[in-house]
Amino acid sequence: MRALALILVSICVLPLIVRPVIATEIWIFAIFGLGLNLLLGYTGLLSFGQSTFFGSAAYVAGWLLKHYGINVFFALGIGVGMGALSALVVGYLCVQRSGLYFIMLTFALNQLFYFVAYQWTSVTGGEDGMQGVPRPEFLGLDFGDPRVYYVFVSILFLACLWLMQRIVESPLGQILQAIRENELRAEAVGYHAPRFKLLAFVIGGAFSGAAGVLYAMLFGIVPLEAIGFVFSGNVVFATLIGGSGSLYGPLIGSFLFIWLSESMSVVWARWPLLLGVAFVIVVLFFRGGVVEAWTRLVKWYYSRQKTSASPSAR
Amino acid sequence: MVLLETKNLGKSFGALTAVQDVSLAIEAGSLHSIIGPNGAGKTTLFNLLTGTFAPTSGRILLDQRDITGTPAHRIAHLGLARSFQRTNVFPAFSLLENVWVAAFATGRSWRGLLFRNADRYPEAKERALRALADVGLEGKSRHLAREISHGEQRQLELAIALAAQPRVLLLDEPAAGLSPEESRRMVALVRSLKGRYTIVLIEHKMDIIMSVSDRISVMHFGRLIAEGPPAEIQRNPEVRRAYLGGVAA
Repeated sequence: MRALALILVSICVLPLIVRPVIATEIWIFAIFGLGLNLLLGYTGLLSFGQSTFFGSAAYVAGWLLKHYGINVFFALGIGVGMGALSALVVGYLCVQRSGLYFIMLTFALNQLFYFVAYQWTSVTGGEDGMQGVPRPEFLGLDFGDPRVYYVFVSILFLACLWLMQRIVESPLGQILQAIRENELRAEAVGYHAPRFKLLAFVIGGAFSGAAGVLYAMLFGIVPLEAIGFVFSGNVVFATLIGGSGSLYGPLIGSFLFIWLSESMSVVWARWPLLLGVAFVIVVLFFRGGVVEAWTRLVKWYYSRQKTSASPSAR
Repeated sequence: MVLLETKNLGKSFGALTAVQDVSLAIEAGSLHSIIGPNGAGKTTLFNLLTGTFAPTSGRILLDQRDITGTPAHRIAHLGLARSFQRTNVFPAFSLLENVWVAAFATGRSWRGLLFRNADRYPEAKERALRALADVGLEGKSRHLAREISHGEQRQLELAIALAAQPRVLLLDEPAAGLSPEESRRMVALVRSLKGRYTIVLIEHKMDIIMSVSDRISVMHFGRLIAEGPPAEIQRNPEVRRAYLGGVAA
């Protein structure tokens, strides 16, 4: 409940601190992170190709928005479907292998999609990106207004968060974690691990797809980077820093990542160095990211209070 | 009635033959032990029965139905559950979650798999709690599996298998690595399960085997060399030779 209140407050306050575009991007990136976290945090699968689903959804929905003037909700539906579909295809191939081979497969297939987008300039615009993706008015709502769009994205984000919470607290969430903990035993008690991993992929892909479409509509363009491996890396990065395996980790990661990259990139060209340092600290000391750092701090604080209180109790 | 049967079962890994021509018949409701020196092929036999490997030759029948080559994840649904020789639990899960996952897998329905809260499956939860109670861990259901003692982990190992409510329980050295005191408790536990389940037991410790088994099969170099009730096996000269390396025979 407290977490939800905090999120609602930050949704209200965020546009006052940063530009509405950046605020919107933070929630979009958080949706992207939620999808990855189901794979990375809950299933223990390091997918290094999430932008495959993000990018393909953005391109397909962007194309339809541009040339067929579909409405925002339909575009979103298409994006979710495209994200899930591409994740089904990619996931099917990837779950056949595990460990390093799995990671390399997600990466290689990501590159494959990237080069298709790169070469197919008549549709994707190649290196220039797919430009002129509109944000058409619908049902009297002017999505072109950044504030309206911010509210729209925030509501969608809340819906995604609620959905993800239901999923991780469902039997599926429990089964995915069981596979992460001990795949051999999970098979022995009766779960076909590849099937469940694929399901996690498809769900994660659907979230990525939603994020991809929202991103394309936010900036009015699908840049080629949206399907590139750097983008895949960014979401892994943000999720790890925020805290993989906890529901709220990706939100914190998304906030830190987008906010830092926006505010620091204008001041200091070498700002990714900061991220590198943060990453090293997380990997070495806080495997659970900011979320773990926070819970440890709280625990430490309470234990200190207890020890300072106990002598007086005597 | 024979519940689980193997016919001329064999498994080779390249040039190495781990299991050869094994024909076993496990009576329903009995406790059937498989003994043999290290490397005799006992665990490989279990791996064949539970679908970890497909056999290179022979057949496996459950209730006269051919289940040869059924993959591991289907086996639990057919009513075979195993415990592992090396503790093989879900370390970051609570004990209750450990058994719940197994109880849910073989539960009546997976409806709501994606959306219903995992707490709202009373049948799976009840089964999970019963499995924990059966091994005497009900008081620690909230503890994490990685935080309990080795002896308790062995009990949990067994509880995970029980949670599936199997028709055949395959126990791979349940007393592995236990102290004499813990061993005695494990024996009592296995004995308490006798009659409620059909049990196939692999064990090294002869005192355990002789006191609880209805029948014993002896494996040596991948083959069955003897089968019979405990008293008969104890007298069998070939068994003594296999165990004592031919010195005292």
